[in-house]
Amino acid sequence: MRRIVPLVTSAVFAGTLAMSVQASAAGKPILIGLDTPIQLQVGKDTEAAVKMAVDEINAKGGVLGRKLEYVTADEGTDPQLGVSAINKLTSDDHVDVLIGGYDSGVTLAEEPHIARSKTIWLGVGSASPNITALVGKHYGQYKYIFRVNPLNSALQAKQIVDFAEHVVKGQLHRDKVAILGESAIWVRGLVPVLVKGLEAHGIKVTYQQLFDETMTDFTPLFARVKDSGAQFLLTILSHANSDVFVKQLYEARLPMPYGGIDVKSMTPNFCSRVNGAAVGETTVNFITRAPITDKTIAFWDDFVKINGRAPVYTAPGAYNSVYLYAWAVEKAGTTDADKVIRQLEKADYLGVGGKIKFSKVHDDIDGPGYQNLLFVQWQKDCTRQVVWPKAVATGKVTLPPWVGK
Amino acid sequence: MLTVLIYGAVTSAILAMLAVGFTLIFGVARILNLAHGAFYALGAYFAYTFTAILKLPLIVAAALSVALVALFGVAMERVLVRPLRQSSLAVLMITLVVALTTEQALFVAFGSQSKNVPAFVNFPIYLHGVSVDGQRLLALVIAVALIGALWLFIQRTRLGSAILAVSQDPEAAQYMGIPANRIFTIVMGLSAALAGAAGVIAAPFLSVRPTMDQTAMITAFSVVIVGGLGSIPGSILAALVIGYSQTIVAFYLNPEWTGTVSLVAILLTLVLRPSGLMGRAVGA
Repeated sequence: MRRIVPLVTSAVFAGTLAMSVQASAAGKPILIGLDTPIQLQVGKDTEAAVKMAVDEINAKGGVLGRKLEYVTADEGTDPQLGVSAINKLTSDDHVDVLIGGYDSGVTLAEEPHIARSKTIWLGVGSASPNITALVGKHYGQYKYIFRVNPLNSALQAKQIVDFAEHVVKGQLHRDKVAILGESAIWVRGLVPVLVKGLEAHGIKVTYQQLFDETMTDFTPLFARVKDSGAQFLLTILSHANSDVFVKQLYEARLPMPYGGIDVKSMTPNFCSRVNGAAVGETTVNFITRAPITDKTIAFWDDFVKINGRAPVYTAPGAYNSVYLYAWAVEKAGTTDADKVIRQLEKADYLGVGGKIKFSKVHDDIDGPGYQNLLFVQWQKDCTRQVVWPKAVATGKVTLPPWVGK
Repeated sequence: MLTVLIYGAVTSAILAMLAVGFTLIFGVARILNLAHGAFYALGAYFAYTFTAILKLPLIVAAALSVALVALFGVAMERVLVRPLRQSSLAVLMITLVVALTTEQALFVAFGSQSKNVPAFVNFPIYLHGVSVDGQRLLALVIAVALIGALWLFIQRTRLGSAILAVSQDPEAAQYMGIPANRIFTIVMGLSAALAGAAGVIAAPFLSVRPTMDQTAMITAFSVVIVGGLGSIPGSILAALVIGYSQTIVAFYLNPEWTGTVSLVAILLTLVLRPSGLMGRAVGA
């Protein structure tokens, strides 16, 4: 009897402990780690959109009965800072999933650390195809990497060629273009595809130049673009100083329409910020207040209501990522990375910018119904109109005020 | 060709405004002021604050910005530099600290993204068929006017003569009843005002960012080395040489290489003529 009492006591204690551990695991929040350049608008909107999705999901009871929480680490635009952010989130905070990314160079530096931590990473901002190429080359090691947003730069190039063919050549009747872009990894990958695609459609590239993203005087470049005989200027800008670029282009009255990728011009206050100098600029975007899917306008309006500003392109990606991850965890019935990955690979999820489906290398795909580039032009009084693709266009492309027909 | 001539003149004028103030304070007070780029950045940020945030008229905003930068320069000289003037290394360090602190303060207050200052002249001006940004032409005119005014002030006024006297021999000037300390303060204020004015007039067409002081500092330093430390005519001549070289490289070779022009100019100067184009001989 003397032997039985301690045994029973131990068994009861152990049972109670096990139950309490299980109970606390069930109640333990699912932690999302945000690696994002929090000083920049793209980073602020990543965090704001994640907060929005987390609040909405928690209001409905969370995921598997667990609340969602998030913690942010600033990855800046510096690879070293990015690696520190990933290591902090995975080693110190022990997050269940990572959402973020903006600078492709930073993301590429982070990838081995993400892979080593065996934590799922849902990309919302960086566009280099090299990021997901690693999934194809070393699936076992890099299967944790998924790009939810934006389309990779090769797909973007394909869609820009489509725009050039149908709008620049088809509607504006211009078949000579110059390309100016910043000298970044994703741009260096994009330009050759772009040039090949343009020339295949009978559009001549008269001049191309990549420049350092710290450049502040673009006037000499504009002079060379003009001298090359170009009739349209294709721009590829993300980190570069677009405010100055657009202002100097306006001041130089470069005699041709222009457009392409200009991440800072995606910001809703960009045109008023440069005192209207951007009127006439067409830039790709991934989100605008248009009925792209049933969720788009509701997302846009809620974001504006909560944050007092319209979202930039990382916001829909971040918002979709939280919902997509929650959906995959519910399906898998666990946060176990391998099981969640299997669900993500099967996903065909309707997001705020189109359906999200991953290729074999975990890259978001484009196509009808899926996420595509929207070509949005700043028009009179700094209003924005979607001018391409035709299916979602809200207006027609116009020439900058100083360009004659 | 005309485009290069005009843009080269504008670049040279901005460089001259930066370099003249830098060389003036060195020539008079023997202070190598590493916070000179910060004056330029502060001018641009004050202009941004007064125009974009407080919505003041442009002229008022520009005048206030220049005055505040001058006051900042004066305060820096009185509070931080003067107590350390006996040690040139300490002065070097304290001005570096001011530069770094200003940069960080701007970063915290305004963030890392660039800011836009409205242009005084918002339309192009056509010169012989070449379209030139009106703001740049205005910058050229203002720079020439300010440097000319400074020249007249130094050559034609009693205070200017006192500045010249202190620059030649501070001790003898003091014996003659010239308050050297007050002259140092005035010259620091003038130097800051010139750099601040350069920031105000360049802000509408160049980038306004917390790190803008770095390029300004490097360029001013290059111009002053090439022109000869302490020589105002030398700085103006060097500003023309470097400004036009940068413009020619940008227009005819590659705009990315403009930064190397200053470095090559410094290297050539130090190898071929260490005292600069119009500086006193080294060791003299």
